[in-house]
Amino acid sequence: MNLFEFCYGIIHWLVDLVNNLWYRLGDTLPWYFGDFFTAVGDFAASDGHLTFMTILLECIIIILVALINVLNFLWIFRKLSGRILDFYGPYYVGYRIGGWLQNLADGIKLFVKEIIVPKKADRLGYLLAPIIYVGSSLLILSVIPLSENFGLSTNESGEYVTAGALFALAAFSIAPFAILLAGWSSNNKYTLIGGMRSAAQMMSYEIPLILCAASVFLVAGSFNFVDIVDAQHDIWFLIPLFIGFVVFLICLIAEVEIIPFDLPEAEAELVEGWTTEYGGMKFGLFYMTTAIRSYAGGALATAFFLGGWHGPSFIPDEIWFLIKAYIVYTVFMWLTWSVPRVRIDQMLGVGWRRLLPLAVLNLFIAAVLKSGGWI
Amino acid sequence: MLQDDYTGVAIFAIIAILFPTVVFFLSRYFRTDRYDARSRTTYECGEVPIGDAQIQFHFQYYMYAIIFVAFDLVTVFVLMWALVFSGLSDLAKLFMVMFLGVLLVGVTYALKKEEIVWI
Repeated sequence: MNLFEFCYGIIHWLVDLVNNLWYRLGDTLPWYFGDFFTAVGDFAASDGHLTFMTILLECIIIILVALINVLNFLWIFRKLSGRILDFYGPYYVGYRIGGWLQNLADGIKLFVKEIIVPKKADRLGYLLAPIIYVGSSLLILSVIPLSENFGLSTNESGEYVTAGALFALAAFSIAPFAILLAGWSSNNKYTLIGGMRSAAQMMSYEIPLILCAASVFLVAGSFNFVDIVDAQHDIWFLIPLFIGFVVFLICLIAEVEIIPFDLPEAEAELVEGWTTEYGGMKFGLFYMTTAIRSYAGGALATAFFLGGWHGPSFIPDEIWFLIKAYIVYTVFMWLTWSVPRVRIDQMLGVGWRRLLPLAVLNLFIAAVLKSGGWI
Repeated sequence: MLQDDYTGVAIFAIIAILFPTVVFFLSRYFRTDRYDARSRTTYECGEVPIGDAQIQFHFQYYMYAIIFVAFDLVTVFVLMWALVFSGLSDLAKLFMVMFLGVLLVGVTYALKKEEIVWI
Protein backbone atom coordinates (compact mmCIF):
# COMPACT_ATOMS: atom_id res chain seq x y z
CA MET A 1 0.00 0.00 0.00
CA ASN A 2 1.47 3.34 -0.96
CA LEU A 3 0.92 6.71 0.66
CA PHE A 4 -1.76 7.78 -1.82
CA GLU A 5 -3.89 4.69 -1.20
CA PHE A 6 -3.46 5.06 2.56
CA CYS A 7 -4.56 8.72 2.50
CA TYR A 8 -7.37 7.97 0.05
CA GLY A 9 -8.69 5.34 2.42
CA ILE A 10 -8.71 7.75 5.34
CA ILE A 11 -10.35 10.55 3.34
CA HIS A 12 -12.96 8.20 1.85
CA TRP A 13 -13.86 6.91 5.31
CA LEU A 14 -14.11 10.42 6.72
CA VAL A 15 -16.25 11.71 3.86
CA ASP A 16 -18.58 8.70 4.15
CA LEU A 17 -18.93 9.29 7.87
CA VAL A 18 -19.69 13.00 7.53
CA ASN A 19 -21.96 12.50 4.53
CA ASN A 20 -24.00 9.95 6.41
CA LEU A 21 -24.77 12.45 9.16
CA TRP A 22 -25.19 15.26 6.63
CA TYR A 23 -27.83 13.44 4.56
CA ARG A 24 -29.68 12.42 7.70
CA LEU A 25 -29.71 16.07 8.78
CA GLY A 26 -30.99 17.04 5.30
CA ASP A 27 -33.85 14.53 5.54
CA THR A 28 -35.24 16.16 8.65
CA LEU A 29 -35.53 19.56 6.91
CA PRO A 30 -38.11 20.68 4.27
CA TRP A 31 -37.42 19.71 0.62
CA TYR A 32 -35.94 23.06 -0.51
CA PHE A 33 -33.19 22.64 2.09
CA GLY A 34 -32.83 18.97 1.22
CA ASP A 35 -31.79 19.72 -2.37
CA PHE A 36 -29.02 21.97 -1.16
CA PHE A 37 -27.84 19.33 1.30
CA THR A 38 -27.80 16.66 -1.41
CA ALA A 39 -25.76 18.90 -3.74
CA VAL A 40 -23.13 19.60 -1.06
CA GLY A 41 -22.96 15.94 -0.11
CA ASP A 42 -22.57 14.85 -3.74
CA PHE A 43 -19.78 17.39 -4.23
CA ALA A 44 -17.99 16.07 -1.15
CA ALA A 45 -18.22 12.52 -2.48
CA SER A 46 -17.10 13.49 -6.01
CA ASP A 47 -13.84 12.17 -7.41
CA GLY A 48 -12.06 15.52 -7.80
CA HIS A 49 -12.78 16.58 -4.25
CA LEU A 50 -11.58 13.26 -2.83
CA THR A 51 -8.33 13.41 -4.83
CA PHE A 52 -7.70 16.99 -3.77
CA MET A 53 -8.21 16.21 -0.10
CA THR A 54 -6.00 13.12 -0.44
CA ILE A 55 -3.14 15.17 -1.89
CA LEU A 56 -3.62 17.72 0.89
CA LEU A 57 -3.35 14.98 3.51
CA GLU A 58 -0.25 13.59 1.78
CA CYS A 59 1.41 17.02 1.85
CA ILE A 60 0.66 17.41 5.54
CA ILE A 61 2.01 13.95 6.36
CA ILE A 62 5.20 14.62 4.39
CA ILE A 63 5.73 17.98 6.10
CA LEU A 64 5.12 16.45 9.54
CA VAL A 65 7.61 13.64 8.89
CA ALA A 66 10.13 16.20 7.67
CA LEU A 67 9.63 18.40 10.72
CA ILE A 68 10.13 15.47 13.08
CA ASN A 69 13.35 14.68 11.23
CA VAL A 70 14.35 18.32 11.52
CA LEU A 71 13.87 18.18 15.30
CA ASN A 72 16.06 15.08 15.38
CA PHE A 73 18.67 16.81 13.24
CA LEU A 74 18.80 19.85 15.52
CA TRP A 75 19.09 17.55 18.52
CA ILE A 76 21.94 15.62 16.86
CA PHE A 77 23.58 18.94 15.98
CA ARG A 78 23.50 20.19 19.56
CA LYS A 79 24.38 16.87 21.19
CA LEU A 80 27.21 16.11 18.79
CA SER A 81 28.70 19.58 18.97
CA GLY A 82 28.56 19.20 22.74
CA ARG A 83 30.40 15.89 22.64
CA ILE A 84 33.04 17.12 20.21
CA LEU A 85 33.64 20.43 21.98
CA ASP A 86 33.59 18.70 25.40
CA PHE A 87 30.37 19.94 26.99
CA TYR A 88 27.06 18.22 27.66
CA GLY A 89 24.68 19.77 25.20
CA PRO A 90 20.99 20.01 26.04
CA TYR A 91 19.82 17.57 28.69
CA TYR A 92 17.42 19.34 31.05
CA VAL A 93 14.21 19.62 28.99
CA GLY A 94 13.10 16.05 28.34
CA TYR A 95 15.62 14.58 30.70
CA ARG A 96 14.76 10.93 30.01
CA ILE A 97 15.10 11.23 26.23
CA GLY A 98 18.42 13.03 26.26
CA GLY A 99 17.18 16.60 26.05
CA TRP A 100 15.22 16.01 22.85
CA LEU A 101 12.50 18.48 23.85
CA GLN A 102 14.95 21.37 24.17
CA ASN A 103 14.36 22.46 20.57
CA LEU A 104 10.59 22.50 21.06
CA ALA A 105 11.06 24.65 24.16
CA ASP A 106 13.31 27.02 22.22
CA GLY A 107 10.76 27.14 19.44
CA ILE A 108 7.97 28.15 21.84
CA LYS A 109 10.24 30.75 23.40
CA LEU A 110 11.05 32.26 20.01
CA PHE A 111 7.38 32.11 19.01
CA VAL A 112 6.32 34.45 21.83
CA LYS A 113 9.28 36.77 21.41
CA GLU A 114 8.98 40.36 20.28
CA ILE A 115 9.57 41.12 16.62
CA ILE A 116 11.41 44.32 15.81
CA VAL A 117 11.35 45.74 12.32
CA PRO A 118 14.17 48.28 12.02
CA LYS A 119 13.00 51.78 11.22
CA LYS A 120 15.30 52.16 8.24
CA ALA A 121 14.50 48.76 6.74
CA ASP A 122 12.57 48.28 3.51
CA ARG A 123 9.46 46.81 5.09
CA LEU A 124 8.12 44.77 2.19
CA GLY A 125 11.41 43.11 1.34
CA TYR A 126 12.20 42.58 4.99
CA LEU A 127 8.99 40.65 5.59
CA LEU A 128 8.93 38.86 2.23
CA ALA A 129 12.47 37.43 2.35
CA PRO A 130 11.92 34.88 5.16
CA ILE A 131 8.72 33.67 3.53
CA ILE A 132 10.51 33.01 0.23
CA TYR A 133 13.47 31.40 1.98
CA VAL A 134 11.43 29.08 4.19
CA GLY A 135 8.84 28.33 1.51
CA SER A 136 11.35 27.43 -1.18
CA SER A 137 13.27 25.25 1.26
CA LEU A 138 10.10 23.39 2.23
CA LEU A 139 9.29 22.97 -1.45
CA ILE A 140 12.40 20.81 -1.93
CA LEU A 141 10.79 18.17 0.29
CA SER A 142 7.75 17.82 -1.97
CA VAL A 143 9.57 15.71 -4.55
CA ILE A 144 11.94 13.71 -2.33
CA PRO A 145 10.46 10.24 -1.73
CA LEU A 146 11.57 8.12 1.21
CA SER A 147 10.79 4.91 -0.67
CA GLU A 148 8.77 3.62 -3.60
CA ASN A 149 5.68 3.83 -1.42
CA PHE A 150 6.27 6.98 0.60
CA GLY A 151 6.19 10.11 -1.53
CA LEU A 152 3.89 12.67 -3.10
CA SER A 153 1.89 11.11 -5.94
CA THR A 154 -1.40 12.07 -7.54
CA ASN A 155 -2.92 8.69 -8.45
CA GLU A 156 -3.15 5.09 -7.23
CA SER A 157 -0.16 3.93 -9.28
CA GLY A 158 2.06 5.81 -6.86
CA GLU A 159 4.24 7.34 -9.58
CA TYR A 160 6.16 10.46 -8.68
CA VAL A 161 6.73 13.55 -10.81
CA THR A 162 8.85 12.82 -13.88
CA ALA A 163 11.61 15.35 -13.27
CA GLY A 164 11.69 15.14 -9.47
CA ALA A 165 15.46 15.34 -9.05
CA LEU A 166 15.67 18.35 -11.35
CA PHE A 167 12.86 20.06 -9.47
CA ALA A 168 14.61 19.47 -6.15
CA LEU A 169 17.80 21.09 -7.46
CA ALA A 170 15.80 23.99 -8.87
CA ALA A 171 14.01 24.60 -5.56
CA PHE A 172 17.35 24.36 -3.79
CA SER A 173 18.71 27.29 -5.78
CA ILE A 174 15.93 29.84 -5.10
CA ALA A 175 17.50 30.66 -1.72
CA PRO A 176 20.21 33.14 -2.87
CA PHE A 177 17.48 35.42 -4.18
CA ALA A 178 15.78 35.56 -0.78
CA ILE A 179 19.10 35.97 1.02
CA LEU A 180 20.14 38.88 -1.18
CA LEU A 181 16.72 40.44 -0.64
CA ALA A 182 17.02 40.03 3.14
CA GLY A 183 20.53 41.43 3.18
CA TRP A 184 19.64 44.47 1.11
CA SER A 185 16.30 45.36 2.67
CA SER A 186 17.53 45.14 6.27
CA ASN A 187 19.63 48.23 5.55
CA ASN A 188 22.47 47.14 7.77
CA LYS A 189 26.13 46.92 6.77
CA TYR A 190 26.59 43.43 8.15
CA THR A 191 23.55 42.04 6.41
CA LEU A 192 24.55 43.68 3.14
CA ILE A 193 28.01 42.09 3.13
CA GLY A 194 26.60 38.79 4.38
CA GLY A 195 23.97 38.72 1.66
CA MET A 196 26.51 39.53 -1.05
CA ARG A 197 28.84 36.81 0.21
CA SER A 198 26.03 34.32 0.42
CA ALA A 199 24.90 35.01 -3.14
CA ALA A 200 28.49 34.70 -4.39
CA GLN A 201 29.00 31.45 -2.52
CA MET A 202 25.77 29.81 -3.60
CA MET A 203 26.33 30.85 -7.20
CA SER A 204 29.84 29.44 -7.40
CA TYR A 205 29.01 26.13 -5.72
CA GLU A 206 25.86 25.54 -7.69
CA ILE A 207 27.65 24.76 -10.95
CA PRO A 208 29.78 21.85 -9.61
CA LEU A 209 26.73 20.60 -7.70
CA ILE A 210 24.61 20.43 -10.84
CA LEU A 211 27.44 18.95 -12.92
CA CYS A 212 27.84 16.15 -10.36
CA ALA A 213 24.10 15.57 -10.42
CA ALA A 214 24.31 15.53 -14.23
CA SER A 215 26.78 12.64 -14.06
CA VAL A 216 24.24 10.72 -11.99
CA PHE A 217 21.46 11.54 -14.48
CA LEU A 218 23.77 10.43 -17.28
CA VAL A 219 24.36 7.01 -15.77
CA ALA A 220 20.75 6.52 -14.67
CA GLY A 221 19.27 8.04 -17.83
CA SER A 222 16.41 9.67 -15.95
CA PHE A 223 15.43 12.62 -13.74
CA ASN A 224 13.10 10.47 -11.68
CA PHE A 225 14.13 9.47 -8.15
CA VAL A 226 12.76 5.94 -8.50
CA ASP A 227 14.73 5.29 -11.71
CA ILE A 228 17.91 6.79 -10.23
CA VAL A 229 17.66 4.59 -7.15
CA ASP A 230 16.77 1.49 -9.19
CA ALA A 231 19.84 2.07 -11.37
CA GLN A 232 21.90 1.62 -8.20
CA HIS A 233 20.51 -1.85 -7.54
CA ASP A 234 23.76 -3.63 -8.39
CA ILE A 235 26.32 -1.02 -7.38
CA TRP A 236 25.97 2.30 -5.59
CA PHE A 237 27.10 5.29 -7.64
CA LEU A 238 29.41 6.09 -4.74
CA ILE A 239 31.97 3.63 -6.10
CA PRO A 240 32.25 4.46 -9.83
CA LEU A 241 31.60 8.20 -9.28
CA PHE A 242 33.62 8.67 -6.12
CA ILE A 243 35.06 12.05 -7.20
CA GLY A 244 31.54 13.22 -7.91
CA PHE A 245 30.37 12.15 -4.48
CA VAL A 246 33.11 14.09 -2.70
CA VAL A 247 32.54 17.21 -4.82
CA PHE A 248 28.78 16.89 -4.29
CA LEU A 249 29.19 16.73 -0.50
CA ILE A 250 31.51 19.75 -0.42
CA CYS A 251 29.08 21.73 -2.55
CA LEU A 252 26.19 20.71 -0.30
CA ILE A 253 28.06 21.98 2.75
CA ALA A 254 28.58 25.29 0.97
CA GLU A 255 24.94 25.49 -0.13
CA VAL A 256 23.64 24.72 3.37
CA GLU A 257 26.11 27.23 4.88
CA ILE A 258 27.58 25.21 7.73
CA ILE A 259 30.87 25.91 9.27
CA PRO A 260 33.84 25.45 6.99
CA PHE A 261 31.84 27.51 4.50
CA ASP A 262 29.59 29.62 6.73
CA LEU A 263 31.15 32.88 5.54
CA PRO A 264 27.76 34.61 5.18
CA GLU A 265 27.13 34.08 8.89
CA ALA A 266 30.69 34.34 10.14
CA GLU A 267 29.91 35.53 13.66
CA ALA A 268 33.44 36.78 14.33
CA GLU A 269 33.38 39.15 11.37
CA LEU A 270 29.75 39.91 10.56
CA VAL A 271 27.67 39.68 13.73
CA GLU A 272 25.17 37.14 12.44
CA GLY A 273 25.59 37.71 8.73
CA TRP A 274 22.47 38.31 6.71
CA THR A 275 20.19 37.30 9.62
CA THR A 276 21.47 40.06 11.92
CA GLU A 277 18.29 42.15 11.90
CA TYR A 278 15.92 39.19 12.18
CA GLY A 279 14.75 38.24 15.64
CA GLY A 280 12.01 36.23 17.29
CA MET A 281 10.14 33.68 15.20
CA LYS A 282 11.89 34.85 12.02
CA PHE A 283 15.20 33.75 13.47
CA GLY A 284 13.55 30.56 14.67
CA LEU A 285 12.35 29.71 11.19
CA PHE A 286 15.76 30.52 9.71
CA TYR A 287 17.31 28.15 12.22
CA MET A 288 14.78 25.47 11.32
CA THR A 289 15.31 26.05 7.61
CA THR A 290 19.03 25.38 7.89
CA ALA A 291 18.12 21.98 9.28
CA ILE A 292 15.51 21.46 6.53
CA ARG A 293 18.14 22.19 3.91
CA SER A 294 20.58 19.83 5.61
CA TYR A 295 17.91 17.15 5.59
CA ALA A 296 17.15 17.78 1.93
CA GLY A 297 20.85 17.79 1.10
CA GLY A 298 21.43 14.53 2.94
CA ALA A 299 18.42 13.01 1.19
CA LEU A 300 19.71 14.14 -2.23
CA ALA A 301 23.18 12.70 -1.54
CA THR A 302 21.54 9.47 -0.39
CA ALA A 303 19.32 9.16 -3.44
CA PHE A 304 22.06 10.09 -5.91
CA PHE A 305 25.09 8.25 -4.56
CA LEU A 306 24.29 6.01 -1.59
CA GLY A 307 21.75 3.71 -3.15
CA GLY A 308 18.64 5.39 -1.78
CA TRP A 309 16.35 2.96 0.02
CA HIS A 310 18.23 -0.17 -1.05
CA GLY A 311 19.49 -2.32 1.78
CA PRO A 312 18.92 -5.66 3.52
CA SER A 313 15.19 -6.09 3.88
CA PHE A 314 14.97 -6.68 7.62
CA ILE A 315 14.72 -2.90 8.01
CA PRO A 316 11.93 -1.08 6.07
CA ASP A 317 12.95 0.94 3.01
CA GLU A 318 12.02 4.28 4.52
CA ILE A 319 14.18 3.65 7.56
CA TRP A 320 17.13 2.72 5.35
CA PHE A 321 16.79 5.99 3.50
CA LEU A 322 16.63 7.98 6.73
CA ILE A 323 19.59 6.11 8.26
CA LYS A 324 21.74 7.03 5.25
CA ALA A 325 20.56 10.65 5.32
CA TYR A 326 21.36 10.82 9.05
CA ILE A 327 24.83 9.41 8.43
CA VAL A 328 25.49 12.07 5.79
CA TYR A 329 24.32 14.74 8.22
CA THR A 330 26.51 13.35 11.02
CA VAL A 331 29.51 13.55 8.69
CA PHE A 332 28.62 17.19 8.01
CA MET A 333 28.51 17.90 11.73
CA TRP A 334 31.76 16.06 12.38
CA LEU A 335 33.41 18.17 9.69
CA THR A 336 31.83 21.33 11.09
CA TRP A 337 33.50 21.03 14.47
CA SER A 338 36.82 19.71 13.15
CA VAL A 339 37.94 22.30 10.61
CA PRO A 340 38.33 26.08 10.85
CA ARG A 341 36.42 28.56 8.74
CA VAL A 342 38.06 29.48 5.43
CA ARG A 343 38.49 32.96 3.97
CA ILE A 344 36.05 34.21 1.32
CA ASP A 345 38.56 34.44 -1.54
CA GLN A 346 39.99 31.02 -0.65
CA MET A 347 36.51 29.58 -0.69
CA LEU A 348 35.60 31.04 -4.06
CA GLY A 349 39.00 29.96 -5.40
CA VAL A 350 38.38 26.37 -4.30
CA GLY A 351 34.95 26.43 -5.90
CA TRP A 352 36.01 27.65 -9.32
CA ARG A 353 39.60 26.47 -9.61
CA ARG A 354 39.37 22.99 -8.07
CA LEU A 355 35.82 21.73 -7.77
CA LEU A 356 34.68 22.79 -11.24
CA PRO A 357 37.46 20.88 -13.12
CA LEU A 358 36.91 17.92 -10.80
CA ALA A 359 33.18 17.95 -11.56
CA VAL A 360 33.88 18.01 -15.31
CA LEU A 361 36.39 15.16 -14.87
CA ASN A 362 33.71 13.22 -13.00
CA LEU A 363 31.25 13.83 -15.83
CA PHE A 364 33.89 12.59 -18.27
CA ILE A 365 34.44 9.42 -16.22
CA ALA A 366 30.69 8.82 -16.12
CA ALA A 367 30.46 9.28 -19.91
CA VAL A 368 33.34 6.84 -20.52
CA LEU A 369 31.89 4.24 -18.14
CA LYS A 370 28.44 4.54 -19.66
CA SER A 371 29.57 4.31 -23.29
CA GLY A 372 31.86 1.40 -22.40
CA GLY A 373 28.88 -0.38 -20.91
CA TRP A 374 30.58 -1.02 -17.57
CA ILE A 375 27.83 0.56 -15.51
CA MET B 1 -0.52 14.86 -18.45
CA LEU B 2 1.96 17.37 -17.08
CA GLN B 3 -0.84 19.04 -15.18
CA ASP B 4 -1.91 15.76 -13.58
CA ASP B 5 1.69 15.00 -12.70
CA TYR B 6 2.43 18.24 -10.95
CA THR B 7 -0.87 18.93 -9.16
CA GLY B 8 0.61 17.53 -5.96
CA VAL B 9 3.67 19.75 -6.20
CA ALA B 10 1.48 22.80 -6.83
CA ILE B 11 -0.63 22.10 -3.74
CA PHE B 12 2.56 21.50 -1.76
CA ALA B 13 3.93 24.83 -2.98
CA ILE B 14 0.85 26.65 -1.69
CA ILE B 15 1.22 24.97 1.71
CA ALA B 16 4.94 25.74 1.74
CA ILE B 17 4.26 29.45 1.18
CA LEU B 18 1.39 29.49 3.69
CA PHE B 19 3.39 27.79 6.44
CA PRO B 20 5.79 30.67 7.30
CA THR B 21 3.08 33.26 6.60
CA VAL B 22 0.66 31.67 9.05
CA VAL B 23 3.37 31.18 11.67
CA PHE B 24 4.35 34.85 11.50
CA PHE B 25 0.74 35.92 11.55
CA LEU B 26 -0.18 33.69 14.51
CA SER B 27 2.79 34.82 16.55
CA ARG B 28 1.26 38.30 16.52
CA TYR B 29 -1.41 37.09 18.99
CA PHE B 30 1.04 35.49 21.41
CA ARG B 31 3.85 37.98 21.65
CA THR B 32 4.16 41.30 23.39
CA ASP B 33 5.47 44.11 21.22
CA ARG B 34 6.57 47.22 23.03
CA TYR B 35 7.30 50.21 20.92
CA ASP B 36 10.63 51.80 21.71
CA ALA B 37 12.42 54.12 19.35
CA ARG B 38 15.83 52.90 20.51
CA SER B 39 15.08 49.27 19.82
CA ARG B 40 14.17 50.03 16.24
CA THR B 41 17.50 51.51 15.28
CA THR B 42 19.83 49.58 13.02
CA TYR B 43 22.02 47.16 14.94
CA GLU B 44 25.70 48.02 14.86
CA CYS B 45 27.27 46.67 18.05
CA GLY B 46 26.06 49.55 20.19
CA GLU B 47 27.41 52.29 17.96
CA VAL B 48 25.18 54.86 16.33
CA PRO B 49 25.23 53.81 12.68
CA ILE B 50 26.85 56.24 10.25
CA GLY B 51 25.03 56.53 6.96
CA ASP B 52 22.87 54.05 5.09
CA ALA B 53 23.71 50.55 3.95
CA GLN B 54 21.73 50.83 0.73
CA ILE B 55 24.62 52.29 -1.17
CA GLN B 56 26.41 51.52 -4.42
CA PHE B 57 28.21 48.51 -3.02
CA HIS B 58 31.47 47.66 -4.77
CA PHE B 59 30.64 44.17 -5.91
CA GLN B 60 34.04 42.66 -6.69
CA TYR B 61 32.53 39.51 -7.98
CA TYR B 62 31.79 40.48 -11.55
CA MET B 63 34.29 38.04 -13.10
CA TYR B 64 32.72 35.07 -11.34
CA ALA B 65 29.30 36.44 -12.16
CA ILE B 66 30.12 36.50 -15.87
CA ILE B 67 31.49 32.95 -15.77
CA PHE B 68 28.44 31.88 -13.80
CA VAL B 69 26.06 33.18 -16.44
CA ALA B 70 27.95 31.26 -19.14
CA PHE B 71 28.06 28.07 -17.09
CA ASP B 72 24.44 28.30 -16.02
CA LEU B 73 23.41 28.06 -19.64
CA VAL B 74 25.90 25.23 -20.22
CA THR B 75 24.47 23.18 -17.36
CA VAL B 76 21.07 23.25 -19.06
CA PHE B 77 22.64 21.74 -22.20
CA VAL B 78 24.63 19.26 -20.13
CA LEU B 79 21.52 18.09 -18.29
CA MET B 80 19.63 17.45 -21.52
CA TRP B 81 22.69 15.79 -23.05
CA ALA B 82 23.02 13.56 -19.99
CA LEU B 83 19.37 12.55 -20.08
CA VAL B 84 19.51 11.15 -23.64
CA PHE B 85 23.12 10.00 -23.43
CA SER B 86 22.62 6.32 -24.25
CA GLY B 87 20.87 7.19 -27.53
CA LEU B 88 23.57 9.56 -28.79
CA SER B 89 26.21 8.91 -31.45
CA ASP B 90 29.90 8.87 -30.48
CA LEU B 91 30.44 12.17 -32.27
CA ALA B 92 27.77 13.91 -30.19
CA LYS B 93 29.32 12.60 -26.99
CA LEU B 94 32.77 13.77 -28.09
CA PHE B 95 31.51 17.23 -29.03
CA MET B 96 30.06 17.89 -25.59
CA VAL B 97 33.27 16.81 -23.87
CA MET B 98 35.27 19.06 -26.22
CA PHE B 99 32.85 21.91 -25.53
CA LEU B 100 33.33 21.53 -21.77
CA GLY B 101 37.10 21.39 -22.27
CA VAL B 102 37.08 24.66 -24.22
CA LEU B 103 34.98 26.27 -21.47
CA LEU B 104 37.41 25.11 -18.78
CA VAL B 105 40.30 26.69 -20.70
CA GLY B 106 38.27 29.88 -20.86
CA VAL B 107 37.62 29.82 -17.11
CA THR B 108 41.31 29.28 -16.40
CA TYR B 109 42.22 32.26 -18.59
CA ALA B 110 39.58 34.51 -17.05
CA LEU B 111 40.63 33.68 -13.49
CA LYS B 112 44.31 34.11 -14.29
CA LYS B 113 43.58 37.53 -15.74
CA GLU B 114 41.87 38.62 -12.52
CA GLU B 115 44.39 38.81 -9.69
CA ILE B 116 42.29 39.90 -6.70
CA VAL B 117 38.66 38.91 -6.70
CA TRP B 118 37.59 39.63 -3.15
CA ILE B 119 39.07 41.76 -0.41
